[in-house]
Amino acid sequence: MTKKIVSYYPGCSSQASAVHLDTSLRAVMPKLGVEFKEVQDWNCCGASVGHIAGGHVPMAALSGRNLANAKTDGTSDFVTPCAACYLNSHYTNEKIRDNAKVRDEVNEALGVAGKSYDGSLNVRHICEVIVNDVGMDAVKAQVKNPLTGLKVAGYIGCQTVRPFARTERGGMWDTYDDPTFLNDFISATGATAVPYTKKTSCCGGSVSVMSPEKTLHLIKDIVGEAQEQGADVIATPCPLCQTNVEMYQTALNQKYGTNFNIPVVFYSQLFAVAFGMDPKKDAALHQHLISADPVLARAK
Amino acid sequence: MTHASPTPTKKYDLNFARWVYENVDGGDRMALCMQCGTCSGSCPVGQQMDYGPRKLFMMIRAGLKEEVLKSNTLWNCVSCYNCVVRCPRKVPVTYILHDLATVAVREGYAEAKESDNSRFAKAFWWSAAKYGRTDERLVTALYYFSFGMGEGYKRGMANMPIAMGMVKTKRMHLGMPHKCKNTGELKKILAKAAEIEARSHAGGAGNANPAGGTAGHDK
Repeated sequence: MTKKIVSYYPGCSSQASAVHLDTSLRAVMPKLGVEFKEVQDWNCCGASVGHIAGGHVPMAALSGRNLANAKTDGTSDFVTPCAACYLNSHYTNEKIRDNAKVRDEVNEALGVAGKSYDGSLNVRHICEVIVNDVGMDAVKAQVKNPLTGLKVAGYIGCQTVRPFARTERGGMWDTYDDPTFLNDFISATGATAVPYTKKTSCCGGSVSVMSPEKTLHLIKDIVGEAQEQGADVIATPCPLCQTNVEMYQTALNQKYGTNFNIPVVFYSQLFAVAFGMDPKKDAALHQHLISADPVLARAK
Repeated sequence: MTHASPTPTKKYDLNFARWVYENVDGGDRMALCMQCGTCSGSCPVGQQMDYGPRKLFMMIRAGLKEEVLKSNTLWNCVSCYNCVVRCPRKVPVTYILHDLATVAVREGYAEAKESDNSRFAKAFWWSAAKYGRTDERLVTALYYFSFGMGEGYKRGMANMPIAMGMVKTKRMHLGMPHKCKNTGELKKILAKAAEIEARSHAGGAGNANPAGGTAGHDK
């Protein structure tokens, strides 16, 4: 297996609502030949609301500072597991590289701290790295504890593939509407990916955090189809999807009279268990609001 | 992006549309919209919007600036980017809605300033700029209390079971906010960036807000 060192930008949720994504990735990625070099003193990317209060240039400066800091690490890939971090970093990186006005503005701002950035890094989603650099054979080679019989609904959400299923240097790493990577991940662990048409439906994102009354019906469909398909768990790559789809199940039951109680885990937690790693220390499976019992039961 | 947007004085006055084409992120491609409705048809929350993106774009062309900048379309967008990847003319719809939202807040529309998103964005930006990190606890609390003490308390209590669950599962920590080491540097960069941003909205006062503008809604 070829070893690869990448700059790792965990994003704010890695220290809060999605700490279990960060923990499980740090555990499994070295086994897949990917070493993380954490971006020095990284900051928030501004997510999907920063532009409203901050404006364009400050928004670009946030990602600009992260990219400038990563550039000094000497790696060529800036890798993040968070959908919003990926979108903002990717968007800003392309703008800095291709748009002289944005490049000048960001560099004028970074200049007050003696920093600069030229857009030369490759911003990549960690799932794209697993697809293109690691490959499913290498994932399967690590599986010591196949999750046979576990039925998983692979829920990808939006910003992991939209709009940047298109990679930095051209070409697509998957499709916008019917991406297959997550089902490949699930199958590689030995689990069964159930048919799931809601895989790229929106959970409401930050609107679900601020105004759930507007978007609960979206989450109802996402959980509802997983239940109809007999899924034991929902698996997702997105920090905000994981939180929204998990934490609102009680509210959905109250509002719609449903009986939802489906655990929502990250693909990386499935990897950790399938790799025979510690269910708590490596898979962080104790950090769910809805206990991930069907996965825990298969842990070694 | 330059100065305040002009207000049309008659129907199908294209001055606001032209300003959007030139000043809004992705606006240059909006001129290519052929009104096919793929965006509105792809929108998961289109039915909850005052106008879907297709209609909103036609309204911009029709010179209905006030209706556009007051509409909840700008705020109900969930940023799923379905419209962006599906548009046959490659109009970056989500980016345009995001930027129109920023314009509506900057130009002082009450509907924009009092929207949930604008309140949430204010709380969010405060944390990002002060600590360099999103503190989910403080952002949520600030957002809830932006509606007033009573409403803030009500919302806080309603969400207490989730918050307790997050604390119990160690996905919400107790104690000081996480932050960057060099918050001073970040503040300096953001202050400079804000200055550059302001510079691009200043100037050309003679061009901004020609006759027909509604008092209090511009600047």
